[in-house]
Order: sequence, then structure tokens, then C-alpha cells
Amino acid sequence: MSFLSKQTVLDELKKAKASKTKEWRDNLPTWCPGCGHFTGLHGLYEAAEKLKIPPKDFVVVSGIGCSGRFPFFIKGFGLHGLHGRAIPIATGIKVASPNLTVVVVGGDGDGVGIGGGHFPHAARSNFNLTYILLDNSIYGLTKGQISPTSPMGMKSGTSPYGNIARPLNPTTLALAYGATFVARTFSRERDMVSELITKAIQHKGFSFVHDLSPCVVFNKDVTYDSWNNVAKKLPEEHNTLDRSNAITLAESTNPIYQGLFFREEIPTFDDHVKQVRDGLNQPA
Amino acid sequence: MKYSEITIRFCGIAGDGIVASGKILAGACAKIGLHVMVNNIYSAEIRGLGKSSATIRFSTSKLYSMGDGLDLLVGMVSKESIIDLRDVKERGNVIYDTSTIGDVVEEDSLVSHITPEIQGHGLPITKLANEASGTNQGKNLVAIGAICYFYSLPPEMFVDQIKGLFTRKGERVVEINIKAFRLGYEYFKENYPLNNQFEIDKRSKPRKLTSGNDAIAKGAIDCGLKFFAGYPITPATKIMEIAAKELPKLGGWTLQMEDEIAAIGAVLGAWFAGKRAMTATSGPGLSLMSEMINLSVMAEIPTVIVNVQRGGPSTGLPTKVEQGDLNIALYGGAGDSPRVVMAPTDTEECYSGIQLAFDIAEKYQTPVIFLSDLFLGQRTETVTIKENIDRDRCTRKKPTSEQLKNFLRYQITDDGVSPLIVPGEPGAVYSTTGLEHSAKGNPNYESDVHSMMTAKRFRKFDSMVADLPTADILGDETAEIGIAGWGSTIGSILEGMEIAKKQGVKTKLIKSIMIHPQHEDSFRKFFDSCKKIIIPEMNYQGQYAALLKSRYGIKPIEIHIPAVNPVSPLKIAQKIMETNSELSQ
Repeated sequence: MSFLSKQTVLDELKKAKASKTKEWRDNLPTWCPGCGHFTGLHGLYEAAEKLKIPPKDFVVVSGIGCSGRFPFFIKGFGLHGLHGRAIPIATGIKVASPNLTVVVVGGDGDGVGIGGGHFPHAARSNFNLTYILLDNSIYGLTKGQISPTSPMGMKSGTSPYGNIARPLNPTTLALAYGATFVARTFSRERDMVSELITKAIQHKGFSFVHDLSPCVVFNKDVTYDSWNNVAKKLPEEHNTLDRSNAITLAESTNPIYQGLFFREEIPTFDDHVKQVRDGLNQPA
Repeated sequence: MKYSEITIRFCGIAGDGIVASGKILAGACAKIGLHVMVNNIYSAEIRGLGKSSATIRFSTSKLYSMGDGLDLLVGMVSKESIIDLRDVKERGNVIYDTSTIGDVVEEDSLVSHITPEIQGHGLPITKLANEASGTNQGKNLVAIGAICYFYSLPPEMFVDQIKGLFTRKGERVVEINIKAFRLGYEYFKENYPLNNQFEIDKRSKPRKLTSGNDAIAKGAIDCGLKFFAGYPITPATKIMEIAAKELPKLGGWTLQMEDEIAAIGAVLGAWFAGKRAMTATSGPGLSLMSEMINLSVMAEIPTVIVNVQRGGPSTGLPTKVEQGDLNIALYGGAGDSPRVVMAPTDTEECYSGIQLAFDIAEKYQTPVIFLSDLFLGQRTETVTIKENIDRDRCTRKKPTSEQLKNFLRYQITDDGVSPLIVPGEPGAVYSTTGLEHSAKGNPNYESDVHSMMTAKRFRKFDSMVADLPTADILGDETAEIGIAGWGSTIGSILEGMEIAKKQGVKTKLIKSIMIHPQHEDSFRKFFDSCKKIIIPEMNYQGQYAALLKSRYGIKPIEIHIPAVNPVSPLKIAQKIMETNSELSQ
């Protein structure tokens, strides 16, 4: 592991400033070289550029963890809040100001550990939010402890004799919670990440992108290589309206499928609110 | 006998229609133009297990508390009413159910506990209810009919109330209840010749009944509340229910969240997006919100949190009053975490105070914790609220075009308040964080930055004092005994002072809706002018006294009441008399 030289940083900065996504770039990321999160960030830049989201209407909300730093790297409004609480904060923003594009970014500990109670309710309410969960199966910012998605047997500072709890599968959870757009991506695949994040933002309703995003510093068990060996695109014949088949595919550990698992267009939270208000405004 | 003030209590089992009895009696009295205050006491169970009671106090002059003692106790059930006999005044009255006397053993029978100082009046409550409805339905109305005759109140007002309350349940229910009312009225007319008269001023105008919770919800909506997020909790839920009903009509919305952390999180999000937002909770919920309150402090996102206090700690006493959350409101957070704490002292202040809370929160970008309590929140009373409706109210400090050129979200300013823009507004963007940050808002852990930013966050509290109402001083300015109080205890203090005054003892009171920050000069001046200071409050520790002692260096006489019932004015008066005799020694 080598740290970036000053020249490399300056070169990167120059490249970024010249790129087509420069309008959405802010501070240079502070992640370790090789971190999977760079791909997610790149995907979000590309989505913002493709969809021409004006920075003034773009809000990125995050929790705590390595992924929590997203808002500082993106030109737009940002709220780096509390561990596990990005979803409720984003909900308040979106319900108060429905014209904004609100994206929630968080990690595995943030989303299905400490904040695990919020995810189902945002999904079932079908708020028009996009939730990107960058899953590295480790607590990185506290320097390497098991997370709710760590495999059984994984050793870490807090599991010196091996993890004895089974891992959660965020893709399966999103499908079970009733999310109306569910995708899984792998940080190795830059184009797929960009494409699915873009589609997720375009989706009307609660969209979820589970990005497998390796931590190259602290996780020796779940790595680019370990995922490389099993990652596979979803079968082309998969029907994205078939939630139960999507769950079956999401549960598979070999291969681990990537792509769009599920998408349906049903009335969003905003649609229901409008219906209630219209009803109230009608003369009795 | 002529009365100008009466206190009546209905006692029954949860589910007996006790609350409805209070509503009908209070509604009729308010319509006549009397001043009314109603306090319901019930257990945390919905039915069967616990006792329920409704106490209604009505008077020809303004009421500040529930007072002391009962003029009339109505025992809808026998055994559970016995203990309430101790609250009946000397020469007070009891109505008991003659149709169930044989159903319980003598020691459980209300009538066998009636002492010679109290007058018992038998009324076949169950029998007459059965005559009216064929079931026990209408028992409460039989009793109300009797009361109406007993105090010579106008029966037509009661019939109106019954119609108002039961019409949605159907014609038959209305008929049954009116019949039950008439039977009770007639029974008393035949058996107890009229000798009580309530003095009614025929010129009085009808009054409206409001609760503290109603007033908070209405005040918030009238000053521009657009978003409410909450989680149901006794005794604050009513505020959320009103918001849920009213906000959609005004283009706003109410979200019932998965827990209190999510509720306050969504409220912070809405404020971040520039909308006036609020949550309402009680002690257990406020505990859960602590970390989010800290985020509000650190990121300088405004927020308004209503805490209708109940007995604690933990789940505590969900349906009983206490003022035990002052410490968590003031200090419940990690780090140096300043927040505004306000406590309305009556229903009118619930309305005007919550509007001030929004103005302060928005202008100074700070959390405001608004401490009501169960007694203030749930009691209904006749009050005159001075409406102030401006749903576009905004006190946010907006950036100048010059400031937008290089927008610094946490710009260091003299008053500590930095200009703020919100998503969707053109000119600049920013990211905020719960991490310590630079003026731009980027994470920064330098010691000088932390010192500067902490000082800025505290400086706002010095600058806001100019916007705050000064403390009120009531009573006799020349008095040597001074009282300081907060929240709903103020009502009992005022009546306690009145009792002492009638016995020739002068007192004065300092009260302020602002707990932190306060107009310290007015408190200092007040305390300097007192020989003795009494601080009564409804908690075991003396949390407000502790604050005032550390802030003003006073040595007060403290009255700590871990409450279940509202404070007795008599208890305050006794302390005043005691203090007075110490002074004259």
C-alpha cells in the first residue's frame, strides 16, 4: 500500500477539473487508494451529469463511516449526519421539498446495522429517494471490525475467534421490504455502476443500489478477488417484475449476481400525498 | 347555599365513560360562560384494570389550577371511589349508586365509608341507566342529570352537549343519553329539594375549551408549521393527531415514523430544506433524540421539539404528571451542547410560546426544547387565545449577494449567526456535518477552529437574549417572600399565593417561559429584593432550583414534589405561612 504523492494528487485534480462531470466535483476524496467507493462516487458524478441535475437541487445525505464522506466530494447540498440515520433525514428533506433530487449514501454497518430499522419503512413508503449502500463487509473507519454483512468465520479485532453470526444480504432485504427498484453492482464494473445509479435516480419511488465495494485496507476476507471469482451478470431472461425470483437470485452466493433485480412502477409517496390533498380540496 | 365555584369528580373504571362525563359537564359550563378546568386521571391501561376519574372545576372567575378538595364526588363504582372520599371538602357531597349497594361487601361499599362531615346522596344510577337504555349504558348521564339539578344549572345546555358528543354515534345513542340525563334530573328533583344555587351571570358569553396540546398544535400551525414527524407517545400524541389532520389541508404533511430517532431526523431534514417543522414527544422519546439534538447543535440546523413531560424515569408513569425532564432538556447531550429550553406556564403560553420557539429556532439555528407537561398538555380549560396567524413567517438570516460569492455556511459573525441558504435556492451550495468544521463546512479538527466554532455556537445564546421576553413579576412587589417556579406549577403557586394573601401574607412570584437562556438581570434584581425564596416544582431533585442556585448563587427553600397529581395550592400556601413565621421570629 503506497500513499498518493503530491504530484499524483495534482494530476488527479487536473484530470477531474477537465472532466465532463466537473460541475459536480467538489473536494478531492479522502479514501484509501483502491477503495471501492471511488466507483460509486464516479457513478454518482456520471448520473448527475447525464441527468443534468442542477447542484442547487441536488442533495446527498449520508451517515457515518467511510461512505459518509460522499457529500463533501459532490457539488450540491450535503448533509453528513448521524450514524445510521441518513434515511430519516433524507425523508424529511424530500417530503418537505419534493422537487429536490435526494440521494442517500451509506455503508453496510450504517444501513443494515445501526440504521437497520429505517430501511424497511423508507422502502414500504415508496419515498422518491435513491439509496446507495456501499457494502465492504467491514467497519473501516474504526479500523476493521466485523459488520452485519461479514461472512461467518471472519476474524477481526472484535471477532478474534471468528464471526459466529450469519451475514445479512442487503439486496434480499430491499426486495423483502418492498423497494420498487433493486439493483446490485460491483465496484469493479464502473459502467454498470454508473448506469444503474442513473436508472435508480430516474426511477419514481424508492430505489436501492447495493454496491459491493471492497475495503482494500482492512478486509482480507471479502476482497476484489473473492468477489471477482463469483460475480456474474443476472441471467438475461430474468423478469424484473418477478419479486420472488429476484429474491431467489439475490440469495445465491455462487454466483453472486449483479444487475437490475427488480423494478415496478406503482404510486409513490408523493402520488398518495397528492391524492389526499386533492380529496381535501374538493368541495364537499 | 350559594356557590361561585365548584369542583366535581366522577370516579369509575377505565371505559366507564368518565372522560365523556367530564366533557359534557365542562362543555355545558363553558357554554354558560363559566371558567372551567378539567383534569382526567387514568391508568395506563385502556380498560378494566385501572381506575379512571375526571375532575371538573368551574367558577365565575379565572382558574389557575385544579385547586384543593372536592365539592362533589360522584362514585360511579363503589370500591374504587372510596379513596377519593379523602379529597371531599368538609360539608361536601357524595353521590353514590343505590342500585348496587348489595353487590359488594360492606367494606367495599362507598356508602358505608361516608363520614358525618360529608353529605351522602343516593341515586339509583345503574337502575335508571337500564331504564333508559336496557343496559348499563348511560350511567354517566344519569349522574350528570342529577348534578344539573343539584347545582341548578340550565338543562338545555347539557342536552346540546349530549347531541354534540353523540350525534356521530347515531340517533339512538343520543336518545338514550338524553333519556338517562332526564331520569337522573327528575330523580334528584323529587328526592332532594333544591337548596344549592350556582351564581350565573346571564350576560356571560360562551367560552371555548382548549388543552395545552391543542394550543401547541394550533400555535405551530398558525406560525407556519409545514411538516411534523413523530412517534405516538402518551401524553403528546394529541399534538401529532392534530398536525396529521390539519397540515395536509395547508399543503403540509405529517409522518408517523418508525421511532423517535427517525422522527427528529426527519424534522431536521425538513428544516435543512427550509421548512418549519416540529416533533412532539415525552421523556422516553426525548432520551432517544439526544444524539440528533446534538447534530442540530453542531450543524446549526434549527429544530423544535415539544416534550410533554410525564412521570419517569424509563417508561415510568405514562399517565401521570411530573416535571422531571428539565435536566435532560438542558444537559442531555455529549460535548458542549447548548440548546434553548422553554417551558410554558399556561395554555395561552402554549400557543404564543411555541410561535416564539419557531422564531428563535429559525433565527438562531438552534434546537429549541419546549417543555410542557401532562397536566398542562391534557387538561382542558376555558382560555382566550390571542390568535396570531402568519403561515409564511420566516426569521431565517439570508445571505447577501456579496456573501453568496464565496459562501461560508459557518461564517464567523458578531452575533454567532451565519447566513443560511436552503436547497433549491440559487446562489451557492454547501455540505454540513456533525463533525467539527471550518467556516466553509468542511471537517476540521484543529484546536483553534474548534475553539472558535464552539464560541460561535455559544455566542448565539448571548445575542438572542435581546429577542426574548423578560420575566414576569406577579404579586406584591414589596413582599419579602419571593417564589420562583416554572411550567404548570405556576398555576398552583398563584392560587397558593392568593390563599396566603387572604391570611395577610404578601408574596411575589417570578416566572419566565425562558428557562435557558434567561433575562438574568431581572432574576438577579428579583432575588436581591427577597428575604426568602421558595422554589416549588414537581420532581424529586429540585432540577429548576439547582439551575437557579448555580446561576444566581441563591439559597432557596425548595419544595420537591415527585408528582402524580398536579400540585396542591394549599401545600404552597402552607410553605408560605411557615416561611412567614420564620421571617417574623
